[in-house]
Amino acid sequence: MNPSRRQFFKNSSRIFLAAAIVAPLGMFGQMVIRFLYPKKRSDHWFFVSTTAKFEPGKSTTYKTPEGQSVIISRVKETGTVDDFIALSNVCPHLGCKVHWQGDDKTFFCPCHNGKFSALGKPLTGPPAKANQELIQFPLKIEKGLLYIRVPSESLFRISKLNSKHRGCTNQRRTPA
Amino acid sequence: MKVETKKIIIGILSLLFLASLILVQWKEVTRQQIEAGHISPHISIPQSSKACVECHRKGTPSIVAHWENSTHALKGVSCLECHTAHEKDPDSFMHQGRRIATIVTPKDCAGCHVQEAREFAESHHAKGGNILASLDNYLAETVEGSRIPFDPHSKTPGTHYMSTFSDGKVNGMASAVSGCMQCHGSKVAFHSIDGGQINVDDLKPDKDGFPTNHAIVTKIKRDENGKPLFHHNTWPNTGIGRINVDGSLGSCAACHSRHDFSPRRARQPENCAKCHLGPDHPQKEIFEESKHGVAYRDLKDHMNLDAKDWVLGKDYHHAPTCATCHMSGHSKNGGKITHDPGERISWTNRPPVSLRMDTDKNHKVIKEADPVKREALIADSARTKRNRMRNVCLHCHSPDYVDGFYKQYDDFIHLYNEKFAKPGQKIIAALKKEGFISEKPFDDKIEWTWFYLWHHEGRRARHGASMMAPDYAHWHGMYEVAERFYMELIPEARELIHHSKSPKALRVKKVIDDIMARPEHQWKSSGKSSRKL
Amino acid sequence: MILKLKGWFQERLPVSGEQIRELTNEPVPNHMKHWWFCLGGTPAFLFLLQIVTGILLSFYYSPSTLTAYESVKYISESVPYGHYIRGLHKWGATFFIASIILHQMRVYFSGAYRYPREINWMIGMCILLCSTVLGFTGYSLIYEQLSFWGATVGANIADSIPFIGPLMKKVLLGGEAYNANTINRFFILHAAVLPCVLAVLLFIHISILRIQGISELEFSSDKKQKNKVFNFFPDHLFTEIIMALILMILLSALTTLFPAHLGEKANPLITPEMIKPEWYFYTVFRWLKLFSGTFAVLSTGFIIFLMFSWPFIDSWFRRKTKYQEASVWIGLFSVLIIISLTAWEALVVH
Repeated sequence: MNPSRRQFFKNSSRIFLAAAIVAPLGMFGQMVIRFLYPKKRSDHWFFVSTTAKFEPGKSTTYKTPEGQSVIISRVKETGTVDDFIALSNVCPHLGCKVHWQGDDKTFFCPCHNGKFSALGKPLTGPPAKANQELIQFPLKIEKGLLYIRVPSESLFRISKLNSKHRGCTNQRRTPA
Repeated sequence: MKVETKKIIIGILSLLFLASLILVQWKEVTRQQIEAGHISPHISIPQSSKACVECHRKGTPSIVAHWENSTHALKGVSCLECHTAHEKDPDSFMHQGRRIATIVTPKDCAGCHVQEAREFAESHHAKGGNILASLDNYLAETVEGSRIPFDPHSKTPGTHYMSTFSDGKVNGMASAVSGCMQCHGSKVAFHSIDGGQINVDDLKPDKDGFPTNHAIVTKIKRDENGKPLFHHNTWPNTGIGRINVDGSLGSCAACHSRHDFSPRRARQPENCAKCHLGPDHPQKEIFEESKHGVAYRDLKDHMNLDAKDWVLGKDYHHAPTCATCHMSGHSKNGGKITHDPGERISWTNRPPVSLRMDTDKNHKVIKEADPVKREALIADSARTKRNRMRNVCLHCHSPDYVDGFYKQYDDFIHLYNEKFAKPGQKIIAALKKEGFISEKPFDDKIEWTWFYLWHHEGRRARHGASMMAPDYAHWHGMYEVAERFYMELIPEARELIHHSKSPKALRVKKVIDDIMARPEHQWKSSGKSSRKL
Repeated sequence: MILKLKGWFQERLPVSGEQIRELTNEPVPNHMKHWWFCLGGTPAFLFLLQIVTGILLSFYYSPSTLTAYESVKYISESVPYGHYIRGLHKWGATFFIASIILHQMRVYFSGAYRYPREINWMIGMCILLCSTVLGFTGYSLIYEQLSFWGATVGANIADSIPFIGPLMKKVLLGGEAYNANTINRFFILHAAVLPCVLAVLLFIHISILRIQGISELEFSSDKKQKNKVFNFFPDHLFTEIIMALILMILLSALTTLFPAHLGEKANPLITPEMIKPEWYFYTVFRWLKLFSGTFAVLSTGFIIFLMFSWPFIDSWFRRKTKYQEASVWIGLFSVLIIISLTAWEALVVH
């Protein structure tokens, strides 16, 4: 066997060995990354109210299964889904919670004095500079019922968490 | 072992390790695929009802579990969406800081299910509670029971411990309460503080269901928590024609059992068979005997009963259930479901003499005989109704086959009507008119005979013919109708007038004789051997 | 390019490849070429694996009576590869303890614990005890029925130790009985305290080994070879890599074929009909069933003490009597008893 051929074989066997070791390690690494990468939240449509009961000008606070508040208001009366607007109460700037100020009819973020109009448009503060609107959740109307699409999955069923701490009386009443 | 050999072994083992990791990955992927199909979609408990669910998970865990398996839970409709009540609702009360009501009526359901509620309200189902003043209920309330509580013959040992019997009286309504009302629906009533009942007639609700008679609301008996006490003769009750305190009619839970409101269950014949069975209208047994029922029993697993819309011709093909023909959507009507089962029925076989299902604008069967006047009254004709049903049939049967069947069915109804029902009706009417039997129902033997004839046997025959169950059409049906007619009704009628020579008796005798002289009854009186006829 | 990069590092970290080789290249005695003698390296690899998988699991695990079970369920059912990582951790633990026991048996029967290696034997014993406690606390974290009642029973066994028992139980459980604090304590012990202790012990164990050198053995087949030692790198390292790969293949296969089980959620009101600890406690568990509380606990303690001080007992015995190889027979006898007790416990229901 000539030396160059031998060298070639030696090199290729080394490459093979390296590849054979790196491949499963890479595979394992990929699994670890997939393990750690947060699961995609699943969104669901949830019933909010009947459109008939939701008069124009009115607004309601809808709480998502994760506990986040969504402000849903009816701004028009055309009978379509465009009448409604569902705004997240999370400031798009740095994630603080905005609250409604009745006197000047704005959403106010206490962290950096950001203000938003009733339709979620930025008015003052950092959000106005960066032109960040309040996040809107998708809405739909089906057979006269208003639905909202919000995330429904949390880490695991937190709903059961607080049950032990909450006072829950279970007295059975005897029928009179 | 040489280092070179070890290198080779390492290489091989690494590849094996890779293979095992690929196996793990493959298992993971298949597992996720399987789960994606099986895991029930994530349900959500809206914040508003979280407290209810947490507490009731302990108190009534199975109710919560039922609800968790419902489409309501999936869409975020929970306790308060249905049970929330208005302050003005007479049955409302405060419970853990929320104003709720126990009974959810069609009016509550109609908040969202507008179309369904409207169709249901137009249906004969919703009017099931009208029985409360009808003949059948006279049977249960008076003949079988007693409208007023009465004293027992003697105390049954041990019963003095039971609060219901503490006053010692027998509740004569018990048969109606446990029997009639559980299918037909009760007239829901509260205990009144002065010992009576308060129902929708006293409350006089307006169109929103709020009572207009405010004085009577204060008389509703309540427990120490302010919860109103329903009268035990009227609640618990999920009869389909329940008359609710808000003035609405019916109970959606009659078919859509709470609290999972399973469409799957409502699609199955067993659901209807809570009521549609037995000697007087054995629809369930008829269905089971028919080819339809046989196919259903065999092929139930292929019926896609969990499908979202369950459209015949699209979601399933194998067999029909009660719902398929009478209510569910199919490919020829755009999948439109109706909650009025009468929409596709062309004969009503309920009364002694079957009637064509031409209905007026109030969804009442038209009894007008004059063709012109009748035509003017019709809002929805029997022909239209039959066409609706025909479209269901056409999924599996050819037009000729369907029309042929309807010919057979119509002929059968005509035969029953003309040979037995109308004559029977005529004889009973004559006996009543001439005073041989009293106006009071069920006090004369012949009234029971006649009742058996049309209400039990006659209906069995007609229903058997309508839903393709030959044995019910004949042996359980027309055979018994004939036997009842010739061997009991006619002899009993003759017996009643036998001792009298008065003109009244003669008039009745003429009615009977005229009937028996007709060619269809000739075989009986001719005296010749039937074989030669 | 590569040379340039190498130079850049050399400038800042003046360590040559030769020096690294020198540092790691412990000469390894020839008998280590026999596969049996890799049982010391196996636990080392498994320890690393347990650390890695343990850290991964703790990203999702939530130590509280209200969430522990749900989070384990979430890991097993929802997180991608969650059941694999959990399975590796569970089977890794089993293999870890098994390899320690095998390693200890090898050391025992080859007499490698004798002078001057008595201290390292005792540290090895500490490693064994530490690992079993790690296994116990780890299993209890799942908060399923068996692990909950296992923890309760375990704590009450500690309770029957005279004098310090009640204190131990209270400290372990954070109260008189299993309560909301308990699972936090178990978690901290399992995920922080014990692994650190174990790491220190392993470090000391291996350091002493390096100082003293590995005890040499001669086999008849080895005699022809000239060199008494061979290189750690790359020769022995390759052996270890082969072992590691075999372990990973085995663990992966076991995880797929016998996934880590998740039973019913712990219910403090109902004790399950059949209650068993993990397999490595079978011997002790059966022993405790055979004898009454305090005696059983004390005798277990005494046996552990004997195991600890075995190098000294053994040398005293060898000095005083003519039975030089008595330890082998005693060892065989003990192994037989342990195996039979374990088998007994495994085969019967109660």
